[in-house]
Amino acid sequence: MISSSKWIGPAVLAGMCLLPLPLGIYPQHVLIVSLFYVMMAASWNLLAGYTGQVSFGHAAMAGIGAYTSGILAAKAGVNPWVGVAAGTLLAALLGLGLGALCLKMGGIYLSLTTLAFSQILHIIIVNEYEVTRGTMGLQVPGLTAEYSKLTYYYILLAATVLVLFILYRMIHSNLGLSFRAVQNDETAARAVGVRVLHLRVLAFTVASAMAGFAGGLYGHYLLLITPEIPSLDLQFYVLAMTVIGGMGSFVGPIVGAFAINILAEKIRDYGEYHVLVFGLIALVVARFAPEGLTGVWRSLGRRRTP
Amino acid sequence: MLAISVMNGLVMGVIYALAALGVSLVVGIMNVINFAHGELYILAGYFSFLFASVLGLPVAPAMALAVALVFLFGLLIERLLIRPTYGNDMYSLILTFILSIVLQNAFLLIFGPYPNKPPLWVRGASDIFGLFSYGNQRLAALLSGAVLIAAVFLLIQKTWFGRIVRATSQDRGMAEWNGVNTTRLNMLSFGLGCALAAAAGVILSPVFPVTPTAGVPIALTAFVVVVLGGMGSLWGCVVGGLLLGLVENLGAAFVSSGYKNVFGFIILILVLLIRPAGLFGRAKL
Repeated sequence: MISSSKWIGPAVLAGMCLLPLPLGIYPQHVLIVSLFYVMMAASWNLLAGYTGQVSFGHAAMAGIGAYTSGILAAKAGVNPWVGVAAGTLLAALLGLGLGALCLKMGGIYLSLTTLAFSQILHIIIVNEYEVTRGTMGLQVPGLTAEYSKLTYYYILLAATVLVLFILYRMIHSNLGLSFRAVQNDETAARAVGVRVLHLRVLAFTVASAMAGFAGGLYGHYLLLITPEIPSLDLQFYVLAMTVIGGMGSFVGPIVGAFAINILAEKIRDYGEYHVLVFGLIALVVARFAPEGLTGVWRSLGRRRTP
Repeated sequence: MLAISVMNGLVMGVIYALAALGVSLVVGIMNVINFAHGELYILAGYFSFLFASVLGLPVAPAMALAVALVFLFGLLIERLLIRPTYGNDMYSLILTFILSIVLQNAFLLIFGPYPNKPPLWVRGASDIFGLFSYGNQRLAALLSGAVLIAAVFLLIQKTWFGRIVRATSQDRGMAEWNGVNTTRLNMLSFGLGCALAAAAGVILSPVFPVTPTAGVPIALTAFVVVVLGGMGSLWGCVVGGLLLGLVENLGAAFVSSGYKNVFGFIILILVLLIRPAGLFGRAKL
């Protein structure tokens, strides 16, 4: 397992670098959006899959990143890269605040508060029309002087690799071991000296920062930031990708994000049914295969080689 | 202005309390939050619109039928989605969230994005203490909401069923040892929680028409009320609901109407900071 996983990473990365070259503009766009979703789903998985916290404010954190960077760039002429860093930082701070506020009361409170947070952010964006341009959307400058899909693809690929690398190192460290311990048996973990609250707040802060980072880059790619980014629909997408791909598995959300985003583009040709379709699929998967597609794959492999 | 805002606050407060009672009942017994609560409210609004406006049923049977159907739907949700997740609170959060998105998009597909409105029960307006005139429909909503809340309290405080509910929410294991079939009670109370959302929906939809996503702010407010009042506390729901209704409407009148729902969020943050267990809550569930 160790020797094969050593080669899988670089091989996939090399493949990902070559993948967009023969493709047209539209498939390249689909890939870029998929990379954004990989970052979102993988960081949400750190919460739901590894530390047992269900946040409904992950899309809102992406919105924080996108709007912070976008407003700084469009209104104050700040360099977009500095803006993305600022957005990441603000998302991390908000994550720290929200996490510290509700995690000591237990998981349900985090879910409620993050849901309320995302709704409030939506209201503020729509109401503060002068600053955010409301539902019309805020036009923002790009990350590079010349706009090229290929450049953006490599920027988002690098960002995705960075996010996945950090997540991988976190999960495969003592910290990750503590995460697992907390999720398996909170009382037992506490008894052997794991600081459960600190751990949860830390995970929530890191995941929020990653969402802010992903959102900031995504906003500068789209060049138009709308309340679609911090919406419940996007939140649902991220959740469905993780659940269908496989919660608590490192590869699950990556597979889920690509599979669902590409499928969604296909379904969109037939009309606006994709959210409903993925909702029903996610419902069935969460109910009957809680470990998602990668879980099904793994159990199939186990059955074949006893 | 002040008097009208207080009156609006009372009407909304009673409806919030009713919606929050449904959430609180389910939290108290099952430790499950139903994130599709608002969509069930909307579903009842659509049902009562369908039966009364499209099929031409009289208003009262249309409403009763709508609530009954949502109750059955609630039983079905519990049986198919919630029951397999017992002992894993996280999955019930995820499943009901997905369900809420599915229902929103199903509504959009079936009814379109336009507001739909069941017929009014009563027309005209009444003079309130010579201060202002107020729509009769809103007064009827206030009255029927208050009657329903009283009925829920009677059910929980005075009946055998209520005794079982209170016993189970206090100590689940002990209730089981005394012969309570907690599995069936879960199913029944989940259905009842959904029916309370539906009751709020049929009462308020003639005043505020239903759209596919109109349930989100209602559910959020109900959740804030439950946190404010204390999870699992019924009195907390009534006090919290009225308080939130008043704060929102006074805030909308005197501060900013666009930020109506933000006041609830500020209250939520304050409660979590100062008294996380809520006004009437137990320290730990």
